[in-house]
Amino acid sequence: MSEGAATIRTRKFMTNRLLCRKQMIVDVLHPGKATIPKTEVREKLAKMYKTTPDVIFCFGFRTKFGGGKTSGFGLIYDSLDFAKKFEPKYRLQRHGLVEIKKTGRKQRKERKNRQKKVRGTKKAKVGAGKKK
Amino acid sequence: DHLLKKATENEYNTSKGISFLELKYQLLLSYLMNLTYISLQKSQGSSIQDDPAIDRLIEIRTVLEKMRPIDKKLKYQVDKVVRTAASGGTDSSDPLRYRANPENLISKLDDESESESEGEEKKSKIYHPPKLTAMHYEGDETEMDKDQKVLERAKKRALSTSMLRELREEFSEGPTEIRETTSTQRSRAERKLRERTHYEEENFMRFSVSKKDKNEMKRVAGLSSLNNLTHFDDISALTEGRAPQAGGSSKKRKHGGKGKKGKKGFKKKRIH
Repeated sequence: MSEGAATIRTRKFMTNRLLCRKQMIVDVLHPGKATIPKTEVREKLAKMYKTTPDVIFCFGFRTKFGGGKTSGFGLIYDSLDFAKKFEPKYRLQRHGLVEIKKTGRKQRKERKNRQKKVRGTKKAKVGAGKKK
Repeated sequence: DHLLKKATENEYNTSKGISFLELKYQLLLSYLMNLTYISLQKSQGSSIQDDPAIDRLIEIRTVLEKMRPIDKKLKYQVDKVVRTAASGGTDSSDPLRYRANPENLISKLDDESESESEGEEKKSKIYHPPKLTAMHYEGDETEMDKDQKVLERAKKRALSTSMLRELREEFSEGPTEIRETTSTQRSRAERKLRERTHYEEENFMRFSVSKKDKNEMKRVAGLSSLNNLTHFDDISALTEGRAPQAGGSSKKRKHGGKGKKGKKGFKKKRIH
């Protein structure tokens, strides 16, 4: 599969029936170019395995020293429902399927410090009000 | 079933139940008989498929296996009895005849309270490590012995340096092996890297490299590795007969006194 001088090869292919997916190691060859973004890798894998790209999750891409070769991992789920069930939340967030609310590090730490001043069940009430 | 017939006809005295040993004896005998029957069949060329002898063999084998743990528990008694029968009488000074004396197991607390009160304070202050395994005693080793040992080790190390290995290859008559140079630092880093990639691929996860490993890889792959090309090991142990002085090796060179930490914890920058 070459397009724009980038070749994708898969290694150690395994069908994981327990988690309803196919897992493999993805090797991308891109001499003279920067590392290929994950979205493009997904498209190419979808063409190779004749599925839609939304059930494909790839992660862990590391470029070898000197450039030109990158290895990562790829998972192809049988259906999107299985994917939502088995994939960790941060990877679903990368695809936009799940929204994780983040309250901000500073906010969390300030809340913790406010809670330190109070004892017992009042701790739950403290976080609600942001003191000016 | 021949045995069963005999047993039911009360030929054997089974009023007290068959003794364990007698049962084992009979089972072993019948196992042997069945086995010889089967080997006879095989040697004559007739097939042994669906032969009732095989079923009997399997049955006897399972019973024997079940009897084995009981046998193990009885082993001590049986051995003792056999020994007394062989020796023809119990020897009064036989050490195995004695049982454990439970009274000796109670710690005599009266003795401990009689210890000197002066010694007690000293004892409680000095820390004595628990004696778990035998340790090598080095007290009687003289300076000379220590020096000799150090020298021997240095000699052994010097023998395996690259210089001497090349000398040996020059004069040896076997075929020369041409291999790419295996420097020890590089091989260690390479081995670690290989292990890590293998683990990562097996378990579908990525590791973050620790600072130590990162520095090692940088050191190996960077320009500093070129300095080691001209660095040869110290073979003074063989040439001059004395152990090499420490301090020449630059592997663990620490900065002479780390920078003093300021109040906030970072090193104060010198302003000239």
